[in-house]
Amino acid sequence: MNCLEFRRRVGAAPSVSGDEIEAHRRECPACSRYQDELRAMDSLIGRALAVDMARIRSIRARRPRWLALAASIVIGLSVGLALWISLPRPSLAREVFDHVAHEPDAMSGTAPVAPVALAGVLDPYGTRLRPGFGDVTYARRCIFEWRVVPHLVVQTPQGPVTVLLLRHRNVSEPVRLAEQGYAGIVLPAPRGSIAIVGQQKDLDSIARQIFEAVDWGN
Amino acid sequence: MNRDDRGTDKRQRFATLCETLRPDLLRFAFWLGRDRQLAEDVVQEALLRAWKSFDALAEEGKAKSWLLTIVRREFARSFERKRLDVTDLDALVAAEADVLAAEDDAGLAEMREALFRLSDEYREPLVLQVMMGYTTQEIADQMGLQQGAVLTRLFRARARLRQELGIAAEPSP
Repeated sequence: MNCLEFRRRVGAAPSVSGDEIEAHRRECPACSRYQDELRAMDSLIGRALAVDMARIRSIRARRPRWLALAASIVIGLSVGLALWISLPRPSLAREVFDHVAHEPDAMSGTAPVAPVALAGVLDPYGTRLRPGFGDVTYARRCIFEWRVVPHLVVQTPQGPVTVLLLRHRNVSEPVRLAEQGYAGIVLPAPRGSIAIVGQQKDLDSIARQIFEAVDWGN
Repeated sequence: MNRDDRGTDKRQRFATLCETLRPDLLRFAFWLGRDRQLAEDVVQEALLRAWKSFDALAEEGKAKSWLLTIVRREFARSFERKRLDVTDLDALVAAEADVLAAEDDAGLAEMREALFRLSDEYREPLVLQVMMGYTTQEIADQMGLQQGAVLTRLFRARARLRQELGIAAEPSP
C-alpha cells in the first residue's frame, strides 16, 4: 500500500485497521501521524455532534412526558463525561513532545507569519500576542488531545521556541517536561495552560517572557 | 396471550424502543435539517408512522436502522412540504447558536459551526458514521449510494472540515 492509497482509506474511515494499514503505519511516520490526527478529529466531531438534548428541546415546552427522559439523558451524558475525563491519558509531556516531533517543518520557517493569519489562529480563542516580543514564524491550529489548539513557533533572541496554547488543560503549577531529547515547561494560564518547548538553557526565563506576551483576553 | 395482552405488550415494546432511541433520532434529525423545531416535528411524525407499521419490523435489533430510515423519509417529506430555504447559512447558525455553543471550549463550538456549514451531501454520511457508528456499506445502503461514493464523500467531508477549521494541511509523505 502506498501513501496515497493509505490516506484515501483513512481519510474516509479513520478507525480503519488491518494488516496493510498497520504495515504502512510502521514504515511511514507521516501517514501514521495523519491517521492519528484524523482519529483525534473524529473524536472532536463526535463530541460536537453530541449536542445537549436539553438545548435541542428548549424550543418546545410542551410534551412534558419527554422531559424526564431528556433529564435522564443529560445525567447520562454527565456521567459519561465524568468517566471519559477520568480515563487514563497519555502524559502531557509525551503529548507535547510527540506533537512537536511530528511537525519538524514548523521549526524551519524564518519568514514572519502575516498578522492577519496569526489573528486567524488566535482570535477564536480570545487571545493575541502582544507585539514586540519576537517574530512568529509558524501559526496553525492543530489537533491536540482531541481539541483544536493554536500552535506557534516564536523566534526569540535565543532561538525558536514552540508554543501551544492549551485552554482545555489546567495545571496547578509549572510542569517541567523532558523527554525524547526535548525540554519544555507548561505554565498555568488564566485560561488553561501554555506549553513552551525549546532547546535553550534559560527556557524558564523565555517561557515567562512569552507568557507575559500573551494577552489572554477577558 | 389474548388480544388485549398482545396489544399491551406491543405498546410497551414500542415505548421502550422510543425511549431508548429517541435521543439519537432527534440528534440525527437536528443535524440533518439544522433546525431543532423541524427535528422535533420530524421525529414525532416518524414515530407515529413507525407505530403504524411496527408489525413490519421483523427484528427489534434492527429497530435503530429502521427508525433512521423512517426519519430520513419523513425529513424529505417535510423538506418538500415546507420548501425550506437553507441558503442563508449565517441565519441558520444564528438561529441555533445556543445549541451550537460550547462554553469554554472554542474548538468544540467551532467544530459544531463547521459541521453546520458542511453541505448536506457531506454532513449526512459523516453523522451516520461518527454519531451512529454505521459502516460505509451501511451508509451506502441507507443513502442509496454506491460504497465508493460514500467513501469519497466522507474523505471530502473531513478535508472540508480541516480546511474550514484552518487545521494544518496533511503532512507530506
